[in-house]
Amino acid sequence: MQRVGSLLGSVILLLTFQITLYAKILTVGVASGALSMDPYAFEELATISILSNIFEAPVTLDRDLKVRPALASSWENPKPTVWIMHLRKNVHFHNGSGFDADDVVFSFDRIKHWARSGFRGEVAMIESAEKIDDYTVRFTTRKPFPLFLKKLSRLRILDKETLAGKTDDWIANHPIGTGPYRFVEWRRGDRIVLKAHPKYWKGKPYFDDLIFKPLTDSATRVAAILSGIVDLINRIPTMDTKRIRDHKELRFFKRPGLRLIYLQMDQHRKHSPYIQTPDGKNPLLDRRVRQALYYGIDEVAIVRYIMSGFALPAGQLSPEAVYGYDPTIKRPDYDPQKAKALLREAGYPDGFTILLDTPNNRYVNDAQIAEAVAVSLAKIGIHVKVNAMPKSRFFGQISRLDTSFFLVGWENVGGDAGSMMSSCIHSYDSKRGYGRYNYGRFSDPRFDRLFESSQEEMDADKRLALLRKAQRIALVEDQGVIPLHFQVDLYAAKQSIRFTPRLDGQIRAFEITEESP
Amino acid sequence: MLRFILDRLFHTFLVLLAISFITFFIMYKAGDPVQLLLPPDATQAQVVQMRHTLGLDGSFLTQYRSFLVQLSHGNLGTSFVYGEPALKVVMERLPATLELAVLAMLLSILIGIPLGVIAAVNAGKWKGKAIMLFSLAGISIPVFWIGMVLVLIFSVLFDLLPSSGRGEVYLFTSALTWDGIRHLIMPVVTLALFQLARIIRLTQSGMREVLTQDYIKFARARGLPEHKVVYGHGLRNALIPLVTVIGLQFGQLIAFTIVTETIFAWPGTGKLIIDSIQNLDRPVVVAYLLVIALIFVVINLIVDLLYTLIDPRMRLV
Repeated sequence: MQRVGSLLGSVILLLTFQITLYAKILTVGVASGALSMDPYAFEELATISILSNIFEAPVTLDRDLKVRPALASSWENPKPTVWIMHLRKNVHFHNGSGFDADDVVFSFDRIKHWARSGFRGEVAMIESAEKIDDYTVRFTTRKPFPLFLKKLSRLRILDKETLAGKTDDWIANHPIGTGPYRFVEWRRGDRIVLKAHPKYWKGKPYFDDLIFKPLTDSATRVAAILSGIVDLINRIPTMDTKRIRDHKELRFFKRPGLRLIYLQMDQHRKHSPYIQTPDGKNPLLDRRVRQALYYGIDEVAIVRYIMSGFALPAGQLSPEAVYGYDPTIKRPDYDPQKAKALLREAGYPDGFTILLDTPNNRYVNDAQIAEAVAVSLAKIGIHVKVNAMPKSRFFGQISRLDTSFFLVGWENVGGDAGSMMSSCIHSYDSKRGYGRYNYGRFSDPRFDRLFESSQEEMDADKRLALLRKAQRIALVEDQGVIPLHFQVDLYAAKQSIRFTPRLDGQIRAFEITEESP
Repeated sequence: MLRFILDRLFHTFLVLLAISFITFFIMYKAGDPVQLLLPPDATQAQVVQMRHTLGLDGSFLTQYRSFLVQLSHGNLGTSFVYGEPALKVVMERLPATLELAVLAMLLSILIGIPLGVIAAVNAGKWKGKAIMLFSLAGISIPVFWIGMVLVLIFSVLFDLLPSSGRGEVYLFTSALTWDGIRHLIMPVVTLALFQLARIIRLTQSGMREVLTQDYIKFARARGLPEHKVVYGHGLRNALIPLVTVIGLQFGQLIAFTIVTETIFAWPGTGKLIIDSIQNLDRPVVVAYLLVIALIFVVINLIVDLLYTLIDPRMRLV
């Protein structure tokens, strides 16, 4: 018996020795690095993605953006505006301090009131968080708020005991969360080094070390995975996909993402600054002209030739995976004849001249897409001049409404069609915070009413019906915007890596494992 | 001498002031950083507040004035993006860039000058022609292409060197660790090649001119050994214009690192400045340009002082 014991002991010793010898490391080459280690500073995908390995919220979204319990194990919704969250016990922050209701209240207060918080808009509908006991928190929303849980997934929890009274600078340099990885080092522009959190409540993560390297140049990123200095990269340029697919030691992943690329049109000025028509009027005020543009763009060709097949032609505002998608709306086929007929009907048989503004460093192949749109529309007699510029200039210009027609994208973060409808389709209303990105100033009161009532509808099916009805008005009846396509997210990894891309494009190492060698 | 340096310092001050004004103005006109900093669904109230927090709510002159007031306290402002002092953000990245530039400069001087001399002495022979052909190639081939080809050969095909990133750092530099050196080789070679080619060409043409001078003939007539004639009398005289150019080139090298740093994901100021311009992070852009301008001025000062060492005929007035 004693002998067995000592044998067992030495086996265990050997095993631990093995483990320290072969620490499992995952090195990820990402297209853009984190902007800050403060989880509330920026609502920006790359930063959120990296920090999702360090911090956790009361609830989380799974790969398909369904709400799942995280730091809260269960919840109740006794009244439409009240949510009781039951918190998990025995959860530890990376510095050993325990997690309880005080941390949730502290974090909520900071995300909502800190002057530089990038998430204030996200939690604007949530009024307050109060501690009921050590492991129960009551949230109150201003109105019935069906998106409460999804928004709550943005509230990454900080440790009150450690952070209370600390400066912004200190907090940004000491990211301490409850997540699967703890922060070790950030060498700006070079790497972010994380280590497994041994006391993680879901169990110790598979990889011992996790390294994020910002490789902003796409050729550099591809070279890094080809030469093996990283294990996983995101955002493969479409022209390099074949090389990676043909590579024996690499694995290729794709997943339709959440981003819609679409066109907005000036719909509020009688004379638009960058359109020349025979009669001097703004033709985009006429629904038939807007529809002609939709029918006249050969999106299938754009997807095939510009996007190398890695995009899905869009017939509506959100992709299939998003709540609000309507299976009954299909994108109409490319039909130049019908487009010409519509133009003739609207009184523009010879078309007109228009300037299309586009960024050239924001979305995948953005400027080329705009050029392809111009080529398509030339065939129905509309002379489109493309004005491509860097994103820093582009967004300033369109926000001053110094444009008649522009190409832009929208990421359906959180997997709910409501965000785009609220920001880009609803009539502009700065007081109530609607239509901030509706620079074309599309406006239909019928849409506004339907959308607003959907915002307080707690019944999921009824809400879905309202969103679908609203979209049908904005898109099918009014042609308020012109959808082009949904981007497809592309990744490459070493053969041994077991990885399923997330719908939101985040890279969470806890969800990644490796085939044992 | 002291008078000369004080004069220079005064000029430097004026130059820096002008640079800060121009950069400030260009960045002011370039666009609104708040649009890029806030999430898409931010409210108008948030925009107004963010603008206030960043000090962007005044007119151009008000903003520039408050910048100057801060500057007089040694404060270059806070980065819009990183939320940290802009100077700190720049200085954090500067060692990585300087390390590349210094090593590339050393490499091109140590190889370029001897090759240039050999090419001049052997002008017209195959040795001279081969060196000049190489230098022609070095000048004509774009930096990013060389970088890409090096990565393709040494990382992707043969897996000898890491394709990107900076290695282990010891005392501000990665040139003191083996891992660091492995990461340094390709970026340094890429960055050095153009300068190397230029130095070869300059040395060669300077030497050819000097070698026809009477004092060289006289030195030969005195029966001095050939290497003393070439290096002692020839090179020493050919060096003067070369030092000026090398000085100016060092400044250019620091600016050139932008391309090299992008290819090799090198965490230096080149990448920082590109990102900062894209994010309209004005404090960082201004701080970067001021630091670089200061480096330029200091180098020029050193070059001027070096003249007197190399050529006693020159005296500072």
